[in-house]
Amino acid sequence: MVDRADPAMRAATARMLIVAVAAGAVVLPLVSDDYVVDVAISILTFGILGLGLNIVVGYAGLLDLGYAAFFAIGAYTTALLETLLHFSFWETVPASLLFAAASGVIIGYPTLRLRSDYLAIVTLGFGEIVRIIANNLDITGGPNGIYGIDPPVLFGFEISSPKAIYGLAWAFLLIVILFTRRLSASRLGRAWISIREDETAAEAIGVPTLRVKLLAYVMGALVGGFGGSLFAARFGAIDPTGFTYLQSINFLIVVVLGGMGSTPGVLLGAAIVAGLPEALRFLALWREFGFAIGLIILMLVRPQGLWPARVARRVELPEDEGGDPVFAGKDAPRGETLLEVRDLSRDFGGVRAVSGLSFTAHRGEILSIIGPNGAGKTTVFNCLTGVTRPSGGEIRFRGAPLGRLSPHRIVALGLSRTFQGIRLFPHMTAYENVLVGMDPHHRVSLLGEIFGLPSAGRDGREHLGTCRRLLRFVGLEEAAGHRAGDLAYGDQRRLEIARALGAKPEILLLDEPAAGMNPTEKTELMTLIRHIRDLGVTIVLIEHDMMLVMGVSDRVLVMDHGTLIAAGEPAEIQRDPRVIDAYLGNESDTDETAETPEEATLWDS
Amino acid sequence: MQAFFQYTVEGLTIGAFYALVALGYTMVYGIIRLINFAHGDVFMVGAFLGWTVLVTLAGMHLPMAVALVVAFAASLCFSGALGVAIDRIAYQPLLAAPRLSILITALGVSLALENGVLLIYGPGFLTYPHLMGTAGFAIGGVQISYAQTVMFVVSLALMFALYLFVHRTFIGTAMRALAVDQDAARLMGIDVERIIQLTFFIGSFLAAAAGVMEGLYYTQISFYMGFLVGLRAFTAAVLGGIGNIPGAMAGGLLIGLLESYGAGYLSSRWTDVFVFLVLIGVLVVKPTGLFGERVVERM
Repeated sequence: MVDRADPAMRAATARMLIVAVAAGAVVLPLVSDDYVVDVAISILTFGILGLGLNIVVGYAGLLDLGYAAFFAIGAYTTALLETLLHFSFWETVPASLLFAAASGVIIGYPTLRLRSDYLAIVTLGFGEIVRIIANNLDITGGPNGIYGIDPPVLFGFEISSPKAIYGLAWAFLLIVILFTRRLSASRLGRAWISIREDETAAEAIGVPTLRVKLLAYVMGALVGGFGGSLFAARFGAIDPTGFTYLQSINFLIVVVLGGMGSTPGVLLGAAIVAGLPEALRFLALWREFGFAIGLIILMLVRPQGLWPARVARRVELPEDEGGDPVFAGKDAPRGETLLEVRDLSRDFGGVRAVSGLSFTAHRGEILSIIGPNGAGKTTVFNCLTGVTRPSGGEIRFRGAPLGRLSPHRIVALGLSRTFQGIRLFPHMTAYENVLVGMDPHHRVSLLGEIFGLPSAGRDGREHLGTCRRLLRFVGLEEAAGHRAGDLAYGDQRRLEIARALGAKPEILLLDEPAAGMNPTEKTELMTLIRHIRDLGVTIVLIEHDMMLVMGVSDRVLVMDHGTLIAAGEPAEIQRDPRVIDAYLGNESDTDETAETPEEATLWDS
Repeated sequence: MQAFFQYTVEGLTIGAFYALVALGYTMVYGIIRLINFAHGDVFMVGAFLGWTVLVTLAGMHLPMAVALVVAFAASLCFSGALGVAIDRIAYQPLLAAPRLSILITALGVSLALENGVLLIYGPGFLTYPHLMGTAGFAIGGVQISYAQTVMFVVSLALMFALYLFVHRTFIGTAMRALAVDQDAARLMGIDVERIIQLTFFIGSFLAAAAGVMEGLYYTQISFYMGFLVGLRAFTAAVLGGIGNIPGAMAGGLLIGLLESYGAGYLSSRWTDVFVFLVLIGVLVVKPTGLFGERVVERM
């Protein structure tokens, strides 16, 4: 695998750094007074909360300005259960996690369809609501909060001195580090990155984006609740002032200043946000002002954060037995009707992009759809894949109507696609792109991945093997560890095909795959398309390149102005006068400036 | 019923302030897609500047009317310049950077303004001269003070002027073009940086107007006042559909009314919960706000 810096060096540096931090962590309480230990506990707490928020903000790319709410819910759960029901601290922790996760669902659910800027105010509002409720209810002690929370007891030893709490905080932080790192390497972690990179594309290639987003809030909330329990145990008393909007902002600063998505970055951010104000005590009244100015300068100097997440990751793809990828349609009888489109229409405002279109696709064929720009070809693809809802008509796949299924469900049924404008996840590696594409067929359980169960490891290796096979199939085995955005144009096109094949489709929809390719690449692409068909995948192709269309197609459909004007074998189509007319145009039809209807709007849900 | 109309009058008065501040959020968002978290604090700085000039001039025994006009002019123009300076220093260099980094500098500017004012003016409340007595008139038992009437009219006049500016002038048209497609606007020869600065100037100018009026109306100001008003105004901008100028105006008035009814019929302790629940409810039904347009995505 290829990597920019020398990986061995890098690993050695990382190991040394970890050893140094561990040594410092052990020595610190032996040589410092309680004040320093207390600051260290604050840093550890901010580290925990930062890593939790990092799941939402760093991995999934969702904004959360009310993260303190989960922190509050965890803290109040522990406090209330201990003081009212006399639970021990350890018994309250699972309850904290449960309540925090439930509130993650409550906040996550209504926000799922909102764009990020709207998320800002809704999450902020949620944070304020939780704080105001805590401030106004009697059971939570109102503005006075709850005090007299007993310290945790472990093997008869009371964890109440600063040094003991310090040890507990480290234990909590290590658990959270382990948890978040496992998460980021899991299938869910990859799905988060994919929606951060391009949510629409992720949904269209089979990622259940709504569920994935909701899980980001839930996982973030779990860590927040965990940190809240620790907070309650540390102080023995809590009140609403610990969970303000400003606190949520502090957590966000930890993540963005440190480096979104980067564990060491977030920990560094925590050290700065919790430690810098202490270090600036000599500024006296000017301290807060100094912190604000420092924050602006740091952000201006390092917009990516102090320790940004590393992009290209090294991976050893396991050896597989070789050979071609296997698809469901391999041994199915050729020629049966796989896809049936009847009277399909789609309006955009007053423009009828597709009008009464009917066609069928049979198993094992290569069907091309051609037509001038604006003929409605991409709109047909968008209707087939659920990205756009048809205004009328019916689409049946393997005999069953697709109805109003969301795009990722249609992918799971066996219809996957590529895009006219390349929509890879540019900051993910090539193999990760393919792994995201394989998501609909992943069966590995999240818990298995988090706890590192052997079954999950086996599944993971098997998937990596399939992934490698797919990459080899499109000729990109060597580029597996490269960032998708760094690949050459033609390679990106082929990577998109590999990603779409990852969903094991029955039908592969290719939207102008040859656009921008040179003649050699086009010839290779023709070979690849035929090869995919020979493996049992039916292909529907939109393409402008006539050499390619006439060379590979079994049948060709010609669209113009949203309707089908001709259908038949390539040779027939080339002679058809209506087709020649549509392409070369007549007087009323040569207006180049006419806006193409399918460009007016494509995303409709 | 009389109580209802009384709450309505109160709500419209504060709503007008929120609307003026919300315009700054929405205009900046419309042009550079930034939630300008420092905007509420520009409102606060405007109130303090107005106070400083007013108190200084009052000390020199100038007629109050003259002092008021000078205070308004000075506060509005200086705050406008402050907005431009914030953009130049903290936002402009980060326009191409990851979007959250610019959000963090905005938060940094917000903290810096609050703590800067705290350092200069101290943590206590400052009191504006009592210029706007409680005199007024009553319609069917509903008390309306002259102060409320004047402020509401001034706010509406400012909003109307802005509307005319954005829709009837060349620069306003350029501004709208920029909001739709920055690159295309640049290619058409629009000086994009200039327009962005102008947007910050206008937004801050309007926020300062609200700040001075709030000072005159409530007579007490503190370094912390920008937070709550900023939050409400931001909520208003989102409720109306962020990026949409009439939406921000309507959203501001609506939030003012919600707050007033919430405090009147429920309890002022629960007002914020009420306001946020309404906001979340609206966004769930209409994810782009009341007047927001659907964002088109290409594939």
